[in-house]
Amino acid sequence: MNLLARFRSWLKWIVRGRRLESEMEMEVRFHIESYAAELVRKGMSRQEAMRQARIEFGGIESHKDAMRASVGTRWWHELGSDLRHGCRLFCKNPAFTAAAVLTLALGVGASTAIFSIVNAVLLRPLPFPESHRLVRITFNEPGLGLRDVPFSVPELDDLRNRAGVFRDVSAMGSDSVNLTGTGQPERLEFLVTNSNYFSMLGATPQIGRLFGPQDFALGFAPVVVISDGLWRRSFGADPNVIGHSIRLDNDPYMIVGVLPPGFHHPGPTGSGNIEVFNTAGFSGYPAPPPARSTRILPASIGRLKPGITLEQAQARLTAMAAQIRHDYAKDYPAQDQWTIEIQPLQEALVGNVRPMLLFLLGAVILIVFIVSLNIANLLLARASGRQQEMAVRSALGASRGRLIRQLLTESMLLSVMGGAGGVLATAGTIGFILRLVPSDIPRLNEARIDWVVLAFALAISLLTGLVFGLAPALQSAKTALSSAIREGARGSGYSARTGRLRDALIVSELAIAVVLMVGAGLLLRTLRDLLRENPGFNPTQVVAANLSLPEPDDPKADPYLRAAQQTSFNRELLRRVRAIPGIELAAITSDLPTTNIRLNDHQAINAVAIEDRPIESSPGLRAERIRISPDYFKVMQAPLLRGRFFTEGDEDGKQPVAIIDETTARKYWPTRNPLGLLLRFGQNPTQPWMTVVGIVKDIRSDGLDTDGIPHIYLPIYQSPDRDLSVVLRTSLPAEDLEPQIRREIQSIDPNLPVFNVSSMNDVVDRSLASRRFSADLVGGFAGLAVVLASIGIYGLLAYMVGQRSREIGLRMALGARRWDVLKLILGKGIVLAVVGIVVGVIVSATSASMMASLLYGVHPHDLLVFLSVPLLLFAVAVLASYLPARRATKVDPMVALREI
Amino acid sequence: MGKQIDLLQGTLDMLILKAVSLGPLHGYGVLLRIQQISGEQLEIQQGSLYPALYRLEHQGWITSEWGESDNNRKAKFYSLSAAGRRQLHAATEKWNRMASLIASILRTTSEQI
Repeated sequence: MNLLARFRSWLKWIVRGRRLESEMEMEVRFHIESYAAELVRKGMSRQEAMRQARIEFGGIESHKDAMRASVGTRWWHELGSDLRHGCRLFCKNPAFTAAAVLTLALGVGASTAIFSIVNAVLLRPLPFPESHRLVRITFNEPGLGLRDVPFSVPELDDLRNRAGVFRDVSAMGSDSVNLTGTGQPERLEFLVTNSNYFSMLGATPQIGRLFGPQDFALGFAPVVVISDGLWRRSFGADPNVIGHSIRLDNDPYMIVGVLPPGFHHPGPTGSGNIEVFNTAGFSGYPAPPPARSTRILPASIGRLKPGITLEQAQARLTAMAAQIRHDYAKDYPAQDQWTIEIQPLQEALVGNVRPMLLFLLGAVILIVFIVSLNIANLLLARASGRQQEMAVRSALGASRGRLIRQLLTESMLLSVMGGAGGVLATAGTIGFILRLVPSDIPRLNEARIDWVVLAFALAISLLTGLVFGLAPALQSAKTALSSAIREGARGSGYSARTGRLRDALIVSELAIAVVLMVGAGLLLRTLRDLLRENPGFNPTQVVAANLSLPEPDDPKADPYLRAAQQTSFNRELLRRVRAIPGIELAAITSDLPTTNIRLNDHQAINAVAIEDRPIESSPGLRAERIRISPDYFKVMQAPLLRGRFFTEGDEDGKQPVAIIDETTARKYWPTRNPLGLLLRFGQNPTQPWMTVVGIVKDIRSDGLDTDGIPHIYLPIYQSPDRDLSVVLRTSLPAEDLEPQIRREIQSIDPNLPVFNVSSMNDVVDRSLASRRFSADLVGGFAGLAVVLASIGIYGLLAYMVGQRSREIGLRMALGARRWDVLKLILGKGIVLAVVGIVVGVIVSATSASMMASLLYGVHPHDLLVFLSVPLLLFAVAVLASYLPARRATKVDPMVALREI
Repeated sequence: MGKQIDLLQGTLDMLILKAVSLGPLHGYGVLLRIQQISGEQLEIQQGSLYPALYRLEHQGWITSEWGESDNNRKAKFYSLSAAGRRQLHAATEKWNRMASLIASILRTTSEQI
């Protein structure tokens, strides 16, 4: 067999099909006419000869079909004619087509949009060469319940020299710094790493160079690499920026390179939008001299050697940690159980958004399901109208497979149109959609419609086409073989078999709607509870603005070197902003409530020592330290429980004081009145003891959904901080105040950037952005599901009423009352609704616990949600059933009877 | 016309190859030639010739070309390709072997066993 020849011939037919079709026609005609000519020669009349020739040739069309089958293009030909037939049908039914294509486009579009985000964030590998070998290294102390604790330079050296599993390891820490000297001062995210950071990741510069061994310094090297964004924003994309000097927190640094636009620091520190990169050895000024117990390094990333699996590397590290604990027993108390853990960098980066994204993807796929069930229902209704057509086709010799193929082609045509519409809609709106997505999702900037997303959209479309097309196709092919022709033009009623199938579709639709509604209900309840929860302060009519005093390495460049300098700045700052018209009260804090969300809660929480309590017996004493100015609690309207607030007199040189919150009091002095007792931070005995002078109610400092962290407030005049937020009680909007606040602050020091000026309500709101996003989205999906399911019920019953109108007329003629008819139809709807809802509730109840990580303060089996969702859906279903039921009662018995 | 013999299953292809091996023919010509050679004794359903022609061309055993017929009309002429010649040869061999085998079996008498 000559495969090549066959393929060539097949291809010729596919490519030049139309010409070959006409040649086929010509060839057959030539044959018939030649034969007829011969018959004429034998004495037959011309007309009779043509007739005879045709008869002897046999069925022309069936021979042509056989010819096409010979060259393997028959299915192609049939596909073409099925498509044309389908198009004609759809054009004749524009309402049906539009409804089907639009719902499909909606379903496919929504799922494509969500998938493009999932693809960018969870699926696509990190944009670095051989990124599967990049790992996040964490140091844990499970004995103390601590994860991701800082580590020391000797420990970093162990990873590099002793572990033998890494090709590269880079420590890193992030901060933000003031950029000055390029116009308006700016606050930038800043990352300091070892000099091998970029070569470890495999990054290349856009212009200039990245760090290399020549940049090694014990302390900070005087060079920086900047992001593409900063280069364009602050340097006008000037190619001569290399060698340029910039000031970061007053220290001069030389720009040596610019990163390409696609480069983003892959966590774990910083917001991911790092704009300035610096390198350091972490072992010289301003860092303290290296020692095992001087744990100053916050985070690290490593690249595994080729050929070493994650499990092997982890085993080696665990063994090494045990050896180190043994070798340096005094630096590693046995009860801490200090150990080292690695995790693929991608997982570490996106692990915390994975549940939410997968949940959203699941929700949107349920929507696609409902959409296809709904269309299946429409098609089923249409299919019973086409029984005649199918019966005729089958009588003319179409096989069952052929009929199924025809109907599937039609539904695939529909689904591809809907899918294309959905993809186009997504492509057009993806930019807008991404703006709605909370920006704290990492890697969001990588979301785009690529071939993986397109393949997903195509797969979803074809799959839905198959799902909604298969049932009706099988159904009509089956009925075609039965006695549809004999039954005559009119449908005979609501046949039991199609009926059961349609009932099943409706029940599944309702069940899915219940699942989505329960999911949405739980998320919305979580959100509502969080918003209702008393955050411990009153965010209304408060405006907040952030600023940071520079912290240069060079003491001579530091105008805020001494505490007294910072205190006088703070006092001047408060004096000036209080003078802004419309400001009632002003205060300063080091940590704005609800913004204090950290990647790792350990690092912010400081060890506390309490007088008369030996440190060894209470290693778990920790609290978060917040510095505030005297009026802070008054601005925030946070109630004082006991004692007093800070006063202007609580300043440097006076008796050190502290205010604790309820959690601290409950945790550390469960049985005593803590007022007047002494505590201090850290284990350094030279630190002065502070007297507890007041107890306030808890403030949700770390986000509305974070509870139970003890806080200790210190007067900022005794314990200054360089990262400051000004909070103002005022009825003026933040936008109006922003220029005045900036002017007042910069009139004290023109080099201070003022950023994130917004109302406290917006600050609180932003802290819930990702919860709000998923709740709103799933809520929208649930709403859509309810609408689609009620359309489904309505459509089914309306169709049933239409099909059974003669029966209904007969019943009424025989004495059935309107109420009986109403009961008949309504009862059907109610039975379907109850079955669907019960199934949905069971599915939800068994799967809701998977949502636990997305909820806060709401039980996955929340009674209110599980009661209200079925009731609501039931009410909607009854309403959707009532409309067709009422129409059934309007059936005129006379008209219906005459039709029989 | 005398009593005609129905074509044995699977032999049409062989006959077509033989017919076109004697010179290029259009479809109708193939029919005429087969009937002529067989002395009008073979019954071929006219239409069924064409699927066979297409199948043979698809397999690369015959090639086709549009040309002029005797009465100056455009017609599609089929001719044997090199592969077709080999195929015809192989099929003829096989047929002959088969025919003589069957014939010898049918000739067998009871004494010969």
